[in-house]
Formats: sequence, C-alpha cells, structure tokens
Amino acid sequence: MRDVPSQGQAFVADARPGVPAIDIQGVGKTFATDPVGTAPVLGSIDLSIRDNEFVVLLGRSGCGKTTLLNIVAGLEAPTSGQVLVAGRPVTGPGGGKGMVFQQNALFPWLTARANVMFAAENRGLGRGEATLLASDLLRLVGLEGVDAKYPAELSGGMQQRVAIARALALDPAILLMDEPFGALDEITRNEMQDELLRVWQARQKTVLFVTHSIWEALMLADRVVVLASRPGRIVLEQEISALRPRSRSSLPLVALHEAIWEALRER
Amino acid sequence: MTGAVDRHAGTIGVVAFVLIWELAARLVWRDPGVLPAPTQALAEAWTVLTWDVLLGHVGISLFRILAGFSIAAVLGMALGLACGWFRGLSLALRPLVELLRPIPPLAWIPIAIVWFGLGEPSKIFVIALGAFFPIFTNAYRGITMVSPVLFRAARTMDVDGLRLLWRVAVPAAMPDMATGLRVGFGLSFGILVAAELIAAERGMGHLIMEARQLGHLGVSIFGILLIGVVSMLADHQLGAAIRRTVGRWARV
Amino acid sequence: MGRRLHHWLPLLVPTLVFVVLLGSWEWAVAQGWLRRLLFPPPTKLFASAVELARDGVPLGKTLLDHLLITIARIFGGFAAAVALAIPLGLVIGASPFLDRMMAPIVGFCRSVATLSLLPLALVWFGIGEASKIFLIGYGCFWVMLSNVIAAMRLVDPVLLRAARTMDTKPLRTFTHVVLPAALPRIAAGARIALGVGFMVIVGAEMIGTTMGLGALIMEARTFYRTDVTMVGMVTIGLLGLAISLSLSQLERRLMPWMPAHSGAGP
Repeated sequence: MRDVPSQGQAFVADARPGVPAIDIQGVGKTFATDPVGTAPVLGSIDLSIRDNEFVVLLGRSGCGKTTLLNIVAGLEAPTSGQVLVAGRPVTGPGGGKGMVFQQNALFPWLTARANVMFAAENRGLGRGEATLLASDLLRLVGLEGVDAKYPAELSGGMQQRVAIARALALDPAILLMDEPFGALDEITRNEMQDELLRVWQARQKTVLFVTHSIWEALMLADRVVVLASRPGRIVLEQEISALRPRSRSSLPLVALHEAIWEALRER
Repeated sequence: MTGAVDRHAGTIGVVAFVLIWELAARLVWRDPGVLPAPTQALAEAWTVLTWDVLLGHVGISLFRILAGFSIAAVLGMALGLACGWFRGLSLALRPLVELLRPIPPLAWIPIAIVWFGLGEPSKIFVIALGAFFPIFTNAYRGITMVSPVLFRAARTMDVDGLRLLWRVAVPAAMPDMATGLRVGFGLSFGILVAAELIAAERGMGHLIMEARQLGHLGVSIFGILLIGVVSMLADHQLGAAIRRTVGRWARV
Repeated sequence: MGRRLHHWLPLLVPTLVFVVLLGSWEWAVAQGWLRRLLFPPPTKLFASAVELARDGVPLGKTLLDHLLITIARIFGGFAAAVALAIPLGLVIGASPFLDRMMAPIVGFCRSVATLSLLPLALVWFGIGEASKIFLIGYGCFWVMLSNVIAAMRLVDPVLLRAARTMDTKPLRTFTHVVLPAALPRIAAGARIALGVGFMVIVGAEMIGTTMGLGALIMEARTFYRTDVTMVGMVTIGLLGLAISLSLSQLERRLMPWMPAHSGAGP
C-alpha cells in the first residue's frame, strides 16, 4: 500500500516540529548493470533537511546527485538505507513531492495552463478551482498572457517557469529540482534563479536542488552539499548565511567558491 | 516583374504542362484514340457521362474507402496502442503482424474474392487490410517511443495505471498516429482503384476501365484525373484536420 | 534460471503462437469447421508449394518461372524510373524556381493512382511487357523524383558555406559535397520507390496476363486452387522481404558513414 494522504489535503499540514522535512538515512545505490568491483554510485549518504530549507546538491556529472534526487522522489529505489519525507518512508513517486526536470517534461499536447491544471486536478481540485490556481501560479512564476500557448511555442526559460508552476500546483511540501536551469543560457539562468528565490520566499517550500554550477549553488542555497563520485559521498557541507539577494562579488562567497572548488578538485 | 513570375511559378508550371499536352495531342499525335488533348477528353466526358452516373461512381468509391479506412483506423490504432502498452500482447501479436505485412495489399484481392465473393465486403476487406499496417505500426511505434521523462513527470504527479495510458501515453503517441492515418489513407486509394479495375461493376476504377473498352479513351483520362483530384482533396482534408488538432502542439 | 527464460521469451512466445495458430488451423479444417476449399490447411499448402515448385500448376509454369518474370518486370521499370528521375531531380532540385514550378505537377502525378493508368497503358503499349514496365516505371518515377528534389533542397547550407570557405570549385562542390549529402535521402527514395513498384506489379499482373506471381494467384482462383493462391501470396511476401533486406545491405555498403537504421536510437 502506498502512503498517500487523502486528496485535496495540503501536505504542509503533515510537517511536525522536530521532524526533518527530508531525512536521508544511509542511502546507497548500486546498479545491477555495474561491472563487478566498481564502487557504488552512492556509498552511504546521510543528510537531514529542515522545513523550508533550500539545500543544493553540487557535484560533477556522474557523482550520483541526480540518482540521490530520484531516490528522494521515489522514482528509483535505494539499494540500502531509506528516505523519510515528513517522517514517513518514501515508497514511490507522487504523494506531494513536486519535481522539476532538466529536460522539458511538460506535456506537449496541453497548453501552459492545462499543464498546471493537470497537476492541480490530480490532487482532487475541481475544474474551476484548478483554473484559478493555474492562473495564480503562472502569474507567480512571472508568466502573463501565455496561458493558452503550447509548450512548443514557449522559450526554454518560459517552459521551465511553467514546469515550476506545475510542480507547485501539487501543493507539495517539498520541491525537487534536477538541474532545472541546466539547458538555459547564462543570462536567462541568472534571471530564473532570482525568480525561483522569489517564489520560494513567497510559498515557503523545502527545496532540494541539484546542479553542477558552483555559482548557482552559492546564489541559491541555505546549505550547499558537495558530492564526490564513485562511491558517491558527501565531501563538504556548508551553511551559507549571507542574505539574499546575493552578489557574486561578495568576499565571503568568493572565498567559499574557492573552498568548494578545492573540495571538488581534490577527488 | 520577376517577383510576379516567381510568385506564380506553380501556376506557370501547370499551365505550361496542360498547354504542351494540348499542342502535342493536336499537332503531333493527331489521334484522340491514342492521346486525346485535355479539351477533347473533357468534351468527351461531357457528352458521354451524366451527372447521375458520375456521382454514382464517385459515391460508391468514397463509400468503400470510408468503410475500409474506418475499420483499419479503429483496429490499427487500438491494437497498435494495446501492443505498445501491454508487453505480453505485443509478444503474441506483433510477430503475426510482421509475418503478414510483407504481403502487398493487392495480393489479397484474389483470396478476398474467394472468401467474400465479388460484392462490397471483399473490396472493403482489402482496403482495410492495406491501411491497417501503417496505422498499426505507427501507433505502436508512437506509444513505445514516448519520452520516458513524461512518464516520470506524470508519476511525480500521482498518475499511474490506465490513467497514465489514457492521459499521457495516448496523447503523446498522437503525432505518430496521425502520420499512420495519413499513410494508410493514401494507400487505401491505390488499393481501391486496383480492386475496382479487377472486379467491380461500379466505382471510379471501373469507370476508366469500362470507358476504354467502349473506346472512350478521353473518358478514361477524365476518370484518371478525377481519381487524382479526389484523392488529393481527401488527403488535403485529412491533413487539415490533423493540423487543426495534433498540429496545434506538434509538428506533423 | 529465471533470467535465462526471460532472455528466450521474445523468441519462444512468437514461435509458440505461430505453432498454435497453424495447428488449430489444420485441426479446424480436419474438424470441418473451416471449409477446405476456402482455407486449405498448412499441410496442403506445403504439398502445393512442392508441386508448384517442381511441376507448376495450373498452367505448367513453375513457381520459379513466375518469380523470375515478376522480378524482371519490377527491376525493368524501377531501373528506367531511377535513370530518368535522378538527373531530372538533380536539375530541378538545384533551382528554387524550377522546384516551385514543378511542385504542383509532381505532387499531382504522384497522387494519381498508378494502376488507374492501366487502360492507357493497354492502349499505348498493348498487353505485353511494355505496358507493365510502363506502370511500374510511372509509380517509381514520381516517388523517386520528389525524393531526389527534396534531398537536394534539404542539403545543410552549412556544408555549402564550408565548401565555399575552402575555395571549392562549383563542379567539385556538386560531386563532393552536394551529392554525398543528398545521397541518404535519394537512397531512402529508391527504397520507397521499389516498394511502390512492388505494389504496382502485383496489381498490373492481375489483368491481361498469365505470367508472373500476380497472374498466378489470380489465375489459380479461377481454377478453385485457393492453395496455389496462398502459396503465391507467401512467395510474393518473401520476395518483398528479400528485396528490402538486400536494399538495406546495399545502402550500408554505399554509405558506410551513415548509422545503420535498425530500430530506435538512444
């Protein structure tokens, strides 16, 4: 039996004080297709994420950060260990874990608004409510007047804004983001980071965000978790207390950039 | 000036083609029994055919196409989608389809006559059979090639089971299904003509065969062009319908 | 053990389905549920195939005779069409104006049902070989022509610009850049054209001839030899399969730089 709260109920209500929003306990992963003797994709990861915390997983390609995110999402099963979301073990996808993918994962046959409504209707909202919510969320992510457009008619940045609105329409307690801005040009990417922070501050979500860009991590995170590969393991954890909006020329951040760079390069 | 010539290049081409044909027929061949000029063909059709007869032939042909194609569309899409979704069914059914597919549709005409006689069912059977394969194959390919990220996204939104099939897999397969329908529709015209040439008392294919036997070659040519025009118009309608629906969000 | 079974399943199940199907067909005929005349059972088909291959029925021509005639007709028409369509297509495709001028004509001639020209072919070429080759040639030609034109128009302009930066002479650009770049689509066109020719021949042979596989299956019907019709159909299917397989072999030889198009990419 999958543990799915009754439809329409806000998942935030599950959050209890003292219980971490996401609790990753000794999670390891080995692929069946790996040759014998290779180190596992993930060794044994322990990570606890507070309510409304913005955590960025940072690492090279192939360090297992996306695998870890998929395990939290319930899209892949860990070989060992477990993940608790709001105190309950993850057994599958859904159940209020919103996810934004790197590739465009919008349904191409639905308009921007219908894509967002799709998610809203899945948690039991009626058509009218879903329409209102979709319009609200699209406005929240900074999209006006594109409700009736199809994904193919939108730019990459706009598509990812719709994808964020769609994930938010689930009213998730946690938001999982797999290099969501990885395919965008740097200028759009920086704008999207600002937008995401604004949305995050407006809606108060726990965010687990995967990236391979050190600056992206530094601009966004409450806490940066640096992963090294084979076996995937945490090599550095760093709280960032600097107030947002942050500046790339701020000296503490530049120093931190240097430290993370060292941590990544040692391996 | 050159701009105008350039813009109407297509019209110029068609006019030139008809003109060359007309002149060649009247000045070089000079035998309407071998090569009637376009005007001669039209005139002959005008005197030999009546509207009732003509519409009767066109009507019965369209009925056969519509009946055969509809059966093929329903069966082809349903089975193609089902095979793509249920692995067990695909294991059992696809080898059978692959086995029959290399046999060209027209080769089924004799056996169809044996099984169903010379009436409508044998023609509808052959048309349906011919159109079935591209429709089936495209539906199958469409649903098996859906980008996995769409399924992952749907699962993060609590969609699974038949809802995943109906709300995600089927719409995602639509562009391929549209291609299959179009190919199948084009095929069914070719098959129709063959079936009507070989064994029919009515229909556009029969019209051109009969006209030749009666020595009205101009009427034959008129019939050939008529089939071309009708199939082009029908294909155009289908294409427009696809562009209005699937074409709004996908390149088809 | 379990994994091994899983490995063999894709081969096992179709074989099983096939055997069960043939078996129940045979059985249903033996029980009298299917009429022997309409659905000759597999064993009968096998016997007929042997008879047809050795002695030939009903007109004394063996299966091989019919097969060779059909093959000769297909390749005659196909070769003529390709020989005409490639140079013509290269010229039309090289000029945007010609392309637009010819587009409606090519489009219309392509959508004219090839077999509908049969009455004309009979008047122009009689009921001999020429009329069949004309029909196959017509069907192949327009498909081939439109594909050659499209192949020319779809050559990546970057390649042409690259050639210009290397001071390539026009003729050399054509032979060393345009032609190889267009070749995959031309080859694809040839494959489609041959498929069309294959469809046309079966229909063309059903009228006014006694030789060829199309004639064989049509004639056999009038002698109530449904078994011969079915054997002929299977032969036609195998011929189609052999043609398309050898064509993809040829393509791989001709264009070693193209990835083999077997199934889905990654």
